[in-house]
Amino acid sequence: MNKKVLLIGVLLIVPLVGLLAVSFRFDPKIVESPLIGKPAPDFTLQDLDGNVVRLSELRGTPVVINFWSTWCPPCIQEHPLLESAAAHYRGRVHFLGVIYQDDPGVIARFIDELGAWGPALIDPENRVAIAYGVFGPPETFFIDEEGVIVDKVIGGLHAQILREALDALL
Amino acid sequence: MTPALGQGLVLLGLLLCTIGAPVGFVAGARRSELGLLWTRRLALGFALAMIAANVLMVVALVRHDFSVSYVAQVGSTTTPLHITIVSLWSSLEGSILFWGMILGLYTAGVAILQWKRGHDDYLAYTLGTILTVGIFFSFLIAGAANPFKPVPPPIPMEGPGPNPLLQNHLLMIVHPPTLYLGYVGMTVPFAMAVAALLRGQLGPTWLRPLRNWLLVPTSFLTLGIMLGGWWSYEVLGWGGYWAWDPVENASLLPWLTAIAALHSAIVLQRRGTLKAWTVVLIMISFLLTILGTFLTRSGVVNSVHAFTQSAIGPMFLAFLGVAAFAVVILLALRVDRLGGPAVGSPLPSRESAFLVNNLLLLALMFTVLVGTLYPILAEAVRGVKVSVGVPWYNRMGVPIFLGLILLMGLGPALPWGSGDSRLLRRALLWPLPAAGVALLIALALGGRGFPILFSAALFGYTLWVTADQGLRPARTRVAQGESPPAALKRSTELAPRRLGAYIVHFGVLVTFLSIAISSSYQVEREAQLAPGTSTEIDGYTLTFLDARLAAEPHVTRQIARIDVSRNGRSLGVLEPSINFYPTQREPIGTPKVRTRLTHDLYLTLMNVSANSAGLRAIVTPAVLWIWLGVLMMVAGTAVCLLPPRLPVRRAVAAAAGETVGEGVDDSVAEASAGG
Repeated sequence: MNKKVLLIGVLLIVPLVGLLAVSFRFDPKIVESPLIGKPAPDFTLQDLDGNVVRLSELRGTPVVINFWSTWCPPCIQEHPLLESAAAHYRGRVHFLGVIYQDDPGVIARFIDELGAWGPALIDPENRVAIAYGVFGPPETFFIDEEGVIVDKVIGGLHAQILREALDALL
Repeated sequence: MTPALGQGLVLLGLLLCTIGAPVGFVAGARRSELGLLWTRRLALGFALAMIAANVLMVVALVRHDFSVSYVAQVGSTTTPLHITIVSLWSSLEGSILFWGMILGLYTAGVAILQWKRGHDDYLAYTLGTILTVGIFFSFLIAGAANPFKPVPPPIPMEGPGPNPLLQNHLLMIVHPPTLYLGYVGMTVPFAMAVAALLRGQLGPTWLRPLRNWLLVPTSFLTLGIMLGGWWSYEVLGWGGYWAWDPVENASLLPWLTAIAALHSAIVLQRRGTLKAWTVVLIMISFLLTILGTFLTRSGVVNSVHAFTQSAIGPMFLAFLGVAAFAVVILLALRVDRLGGPAVGSPLPSRESAFLVNNLLLLALMFTVLVGTLYPILAEAVRGVKVSVGVPWYNRMGVPIFLGLILLMGLGPALPWGSGDSRLLRRALLWPLPAAGVALLIALALGGRGFPILFSAALFGYTLWVTADQGLRPARTRVAQGESPPAALKRSTELAPRRLGAYIVHFGVLVTFLSIAISSSYQVEREAQLAPGTSTEIDGYTLTFLDARLAAEPHVTRQIARIDVSRNGRSLGVLEPSINFYPTQREPIGTPKVRTRLTHDLYLTLMNVSANSAGLRAIVTPAVLWIWLGVLMMVAGTAVCLLPPRLPVRRAVAAAAGETVGEGVDDSVAEASAGG
């Protein structure tokens, strides 16, 4: 028995296998948004008709903010889902859409055609999108009645994800 | 019906290798001919069971038999036939079943090709070890990764189809099986190394088959890694071919150690030294293939390749742990028996160059391994998410890589064993003019800056040595009056390994220089274009014509039509697109590439709508030569595998005994192959 070989081998293998075993506890894909658990940045925006919406005035009711645009296929795909959710949770949850880098005229035509599920807010110079750290549409933020961001979904919504996130809000 | 039959075949395979493995070890220990005969039969039976199970799965896929769980998971009646067939390896369970078949093919290959070829001393142990690995894989296929689970009624009429990323390029059809052929194939040299340790000796009847069985998977690994890079370049739309992604790294790790092993085996053959070292390198290569598989299948690293997290991960880790411990214990018990003369070699000699090459390759392997595992370590120890970026790998890896290229020039120029300084100086100075010429050419072509000029000089030096050494036998024949073609043909027949090895080196050089050029002289341009407007890059005029939306069953594409022209002459329209797959969270840009011998024009979209396109255009020189260089390496390996034709007068002596034959092979082949 060559003890030196045994020792070197064990010293190499044990930490490696141990490290890999520990790694099962982590999911490398989950990178939590630093905004979660923080108060939602306040904003005052106008919708297409010029109505003013101020986030802090909605305090007391949970709010869903969805950043979207007409040039983003997942946004178009999730449009009907948001429409039915907004109808279902009417009065219990506010649904706000913030337009992300799109032309108000195009948005108006789009809404004429497919219907609206909430105010489509115009975000001049992307100030709100930047405050919320939006990387690209769609991104959806869930804000509780205290005005704290409790969840964030990047990418297209699915019925189940949306339902779970809303149930957690209420 | 199909699920039951499939499960039956997998269980049969499991049964056969569970019996075959101990039979093989016992037969090896007792040197029993009958035992070896039965080991071989069981091994062939295992191979057949695995192949049959795969054929059955392909039939089920083609017939859209949704009663089979795997077909229900990846099948779809709207998928084209060739994609349906390759969806055999498009998802976790199928890929492990496919793995089983490749292991079966290698098992059968060893059982058939090494039978009665003088390797019998080791064969029972070799097959026993392969079948032990087979136990693990068939156990996985029968249990945790069972692709033949019956689907409870109602049987679905339609499935979701395979991963969309696999559907959009032909390279994706060849990349995974090639890589698997490399990964799984490492089992064979590993099994031979185990056999040598159990037998307690390394003879010539072990070494020659070992070198071939090590060359084959290494070559597949080379090709597989290149195809992966090429696919990433053609499909993923970021303009590069290598990102130091953990799974790319995972395929690089065993490749580096396998190359080290190939070179140390040459020293072993010539000098009888580095026996234990070669065995250890081979064993590490195998363990690294398992580590790589673990990283891919367990979901512990973040990568475009990673399959979703599953129960397979812990089982692979357990297998890795058990195999690694078994290897260490076996080495500790037996390594002293291998012995071998401890001949000190003078420092500047061919064998010391081989040793330095081995150390550099190992250093590169450790660099990549540390970079790959560091994110896991950081999260475990400090609880933070980090990623190791490209600059780190470049800073650590590039100097080592340049050292390897330099050694590729120095090594073959050095004489074996010699400490004669006059001879040394002559050998090393002789190629310097070639380095100077290459440097001047690079300067004339506009090359500036240390990295590229140094690379050019290195290329010239090493190219000279490679051509000089590779063609030396043919030149000697020409000097003796043969015509050049006849001399080349004859010397190739006599010593294919020598010529093959230098062809591989030439391929490495071509790839090396192309990577150096392509990464130094890339030009990039981004522009937001309205319809009808243009941007210019490197003499090309790119005009955005229009954009359209195309909806297909599993994908929605935004396609932009870009007219490419040069000096006012239109060269055609390229259509890069942005693809949205319902199963993927982020859109995937599909680039369009115009490949020419000297450079590629690469177009990819950042965003697109009817009245605007964000276009990213990249002109990269020499990209094509990266792939061609790798193909030269593969071609060189194929030449290495040609059986040497012995000269008639010596063939008689060779027939008299294997040992003599090996000697003849040596003297004519001068197996000076690598460096």
